Amino acid sequence: MREPILEVSNLTASYGMISALKGIGFSANDKEIVGIVGPNGAGKTTLLECIAGSMHIREGQINFLGHQIERWPVLKRRRLGLMLVPQEGNIFPLMSVKKNLEVSVILSRRSEREELIDRVYKLFPVLWEKRKQIANTLSGGQQKMLAVGIAIASNAKVMLIDEPSIGLAPKLVTKLFETLEKIREDTGKTIVLSEQNIKVLDIADRLFGLEAGEIRFDEKTENLSRDVVKDLYLGAIS
Amino acid sequence: MILNGIITGLIMGGVLSLPVLGVAVIYGITGIPNFAIGVIGVFGGFLTWYFLSFHMGIAILIGVAFCFAIGYIIQRILLTPISEMGGDATLFFIVTVSLGFVFEGLMRAIFPRPSISLALPRIGTINIAGVTVEGFKIFALLFALGTLVIIRLLEEHTEIGKSWQATSQNLKLGKLIGINTNQVFSIASGIGCSLACVGAIFWGSLYNLNLMSGWDLGFLGFIIAVVGGIGNIWGGIISALIMGMVMSFSGYLLGGMWQSVILYFIVILVLIIAPKGILGSERSL
Amino acid sequence: MKDRYEKIGTILILLLPVAFVFRGGYLQEVTGYVYLFLIQGYVAWFLFFKSGQPFFGYSVTMAIGAYGTIVLTEMFNWPLFASIFIGAALATGIAVIMFLSTSRARGFYVSMTSFLLAILFPRLIEALQPITGGRSGLYFGGLNALVGHKTLYLLVVFLTAAIVAFFLWIMGTKTGRILTLISENDRLTQTVGLNTRKYKILAYSIAGFISGFGGALYVNYTGFISSVDIEVFTTLYIFFIPLIGGSRVFYGPILGALFVILIPELLVPVERYLRIFFGLIFILVIVLLPGGLAPNIQKLLAKISQKKDV
Repeated sequence: MREPILEVSNLTASYGMISALKGIGFSANDKEIVGIVGPNGAGKTTLLECIAGSMHIREGQINFLGHQIERWPVLKRRRLGLMLVPQEGNIFPLMSVKKNLEVSVILSRRSEREELIDRVYKLFPVLWEKRKQIANTLSGGQQKMLAVGIAIASNAKVMLIDEPSIGLAPKLVTKLFETLEKIREDTGKTIVLSEQNIKVLDIADRLFGLEAGEIRFDEKTENLSRDVVKDLYLGAIS
Repeated sequence: MILNGIITGLIMGGVLSLPVLGVAVIYGITGIPNFAIGVIGVFGGFLTWYFLSFHMGIAILIGVAFCFAIGYIIQRILLTPISEMGGDATLFFIVTVSLGFVFEGLMRAIFPRPSISLALPRIGTINIAGVTVEGFKIFALLFALGTLVIIRLLEEHTEIGKSWQATSQNLKLGKLIGINTNQVFSIASGIGCSLACVGAIFWGSLYNLNLMSGWDLGFLGFIIAVVGGIGNIWGGIISALIMGMVMSFSGYLLGGMWQSVILYFIVILVLIIAPKGILGSERSL
Repeated sequence: MKDRYEKIGTILILLLPVAFVFRGGYLQEVTGYVYLFLIQGYVAWFLFFKSGQPFFGYSVTMAIGAYGTIVLTEMFNWPLFASIFIGAALATGIAVIMFLSTSRARGFYVSMTSFLLAILFPRLIEALQPITGGRSGLYFGGLNALVGHKTLYLLVVFLTAAIVAFFLWIMGTKTGRILTLISENDRLTQTVGLNTRKYKILAYSIAGFISGFGGALYVNYTGFISSVDIEVFTTLYIFFIPLIGGSRVFYGPILGALFVILIPELLVPVERYLRIFFGLIFILVIVLLPGGLAPNIQKLLAKISQKKDV
C-alpha cells in the first residue's frame, strides 16, 4: 500500500460569500499520477491553489511530507517540494525561453542546473529551437509546454498542474500526457493534474471527481469506466 | 550662453536621473509607487553633510547605507504587507506621502539647518567648445549614466538580476518557483533609496538641499520616470535630460522662484496629456 | 430612521458652541478655527470618501477662495461679497478643470496631479510675491472690520452648520445615492445607464465652491494669510479630518477636526516633532483603523455599556 505524501482533509474555501470547496478530502501517493476531474466551476483550480498556497483556506488541513502546511506561505511550500503550474499566467512573458528556464532552477544546486534545463529541452525539442525567443511571442501550445518545462526545471517533488490540456490540439495533448508519464517514470515525481479532458484516464493512476465543491468519487482508474467520467460532465452523477 | 544652458541642463538632468532610476527600479519591480524615496534620499544627504567634516568617504557611506536600510525596512514591514492585503495605487500614494512627511519632520527636528550645501572636492575645470565646466559636474553626469548602465547589465546577466526580472513580470509564478520575492522587493526598495541618496548628494554639492528638496526629487523623479515610460530605462534618462534642460532654461529666463513653479506646471501638463509616457512602456501606471 | 437622528444630532452638536461667544477669548478663537477647517474636512468627506473621487487639492481650492477674496477686494476694489463669491467660483473652476483633464486616465493620476498642484500652489504664491505677499503674507480686514469679531464668530458657526447640513442633506437625496453608487463601483453605475461624468462634475463643482467659500471665510476670520498657511501639508491635514474622524458616520469629521486642530495646540512645546507625529499617525490610522476613530469609539462605548449590564 503506497503512503500518501500529500493529504488534504476537510478543506473549505470560499470566494467571499460563494463557497468553492466544501470540506473535501484528497490525497496523492508517492510517484502517483492523480487526476482531478470535473466540469467548469467545480473547484479544481481552487483546490490546487489552496494546496500550493496561492489561496487562503477557511478550514482544513493539508499534510505534505509529514508537515502541516496549511498556514505556510508559498515559498516555504515550494522549498519543501510542492509546485503549481497555473492555468494562466504561468510563464515569464518578457523573458526569453532560455531565461525562463534559467530562472526556474533557482532552488537547485549549481551543478545540477544545466542537467535540469537540458532535460526540459530533450522533452520539448521545440523549446530548444525557440530558446532565444521571447516567451509571450510563442504560440499557445508552446507556452503551455514552457509552463510545464518551468515546473520540470524547478524540480519539485510534487507537481500540481492546472488543466494542462486546455487550448491544445489533440495531438499535442497526447504528446503532453506522454511526456508527463515519462517524467514520472524517469524522476519518480508525483503529479497531480486537474482536467476536463477524458484522455487523462490514460495516464492517471487514480481519479478524484469534483463537482460543485464536493468530491463525488475517488477511485483507481482501472476500476472506473469511461462512461462514469463522462457522466460527471453531463451532470448525471450524484 | 545657450550652450551653457544646455550643458547645465544636461548635468541637472543627469543628476536627476538617479532618483528617477531609483523610482523606476522600485516601481518596476514591486509595482508600488513610492513617493517617500526622494525625502529619504535627501535625509541621507543631510546625514552625509553632517559627517562630512569627519571623513568624506565614510560620510557618504553612512548616508547611502542608511538610505538602503530605511528602504529595506519600510518595504519589508510596511509596504509589502499592504501590497499583500491588496493595497491600490491611491492607498500607497497616501501612505508613502505620509512616510515622506515623517522623514521631513525628522529632518526638521534633527538637523540644525534647514538648507545645506555639501562641500565635495572639486576636480578642476574642463573647457568644452569655449564653455568652462567644472570637472565635478561632468563626473556627476558620468556617474549617473554609469550607474544606469551597470544596473541594466546586472539585471540581464546575473542570477539575482534574473530573479528581479522574473518577480516584476509575474509575482505569483516567481513565488511558485521559489524566488524569495519579499527579499527581492526589500532589496529593490533599498537600492532605490540608495540611488535617491546618491542623487541627493550630488544635487546637494552642485546646488543645495533644503527640506522641500525631498519632494522635488521624489515627485519629479517619479514623473520623469512615468514620462519616459516606466520600465524603459533609456526613456527615463532621455526625459530626465530634457527635464534638466527645461529647468536650466527656465531658471535663466525667469529667475529662481519660477523655476520650480514652471517645472511642476509642465509635469502636471505632461501627466494630463500623456499619462502613458512619451516613449510608452510595458508597465504604465 | 437612525440616519435622520444622527444627522440632526450632528447639526445640533455643531450649533452648541454658539454659547462660546459669551466666553469669548481663546475658546472662541480656537473653535472658529476648528470650524473653518471643519468645512474643508466635510468637503473632503463629501468628495473623496462619499463620492469616491481621489482629489487631494483641498488646500488649493481653499487658497484660491482666500487669495481671490483678498486680491479682488484690495487690489481691484470690488465689493466684499462679490469677491468672496468670485473667489469661490474660481476655486470651483480649478476643481472641475482638474477633473476634466485627468478623467481619461485612472484615478491615481487625479491623486497625483491634484497633489502636485498642492505642492505647486504655495510656490506660485511665493513667485507672485508682489501681488500675494508671498511668504510674508497679506493682512485683510474684510468681514471682521465690517461686523466685528463676535458677530463674525457666530456667522462662522452658523455657516459651518449650514454647510454641514447641506452635505448631510445631499447625501440623502437621489444625487447623493448615485454618488455613493459611483464611489462603490463606477463602471457598474455607468452600465446601468447613469451619466456618471455629469454627477462627478457636479460633485467637484460643489466641493470646489464650498472649499473656496470656506477659504474666503477663513481669511476673513483670521485676517491674515501667507503661503505658509497653504503648504502642501495643509491639504493632508484636511484630508486627515474625515480619515481619522471616521468617514462612515456623519459626525466623524467633527472628531477628526478636533484631533487635527487641537493636538497641535496641545503639543506646542514639542512643535518640532509635530510633522513626524502626524505622519506616523496617518500611517497607523490608514493601516489599522480604516474606519477612523468614530466607529472604534462607538465599539468601545458599546463594550463598556455591555459590561455594565453584566
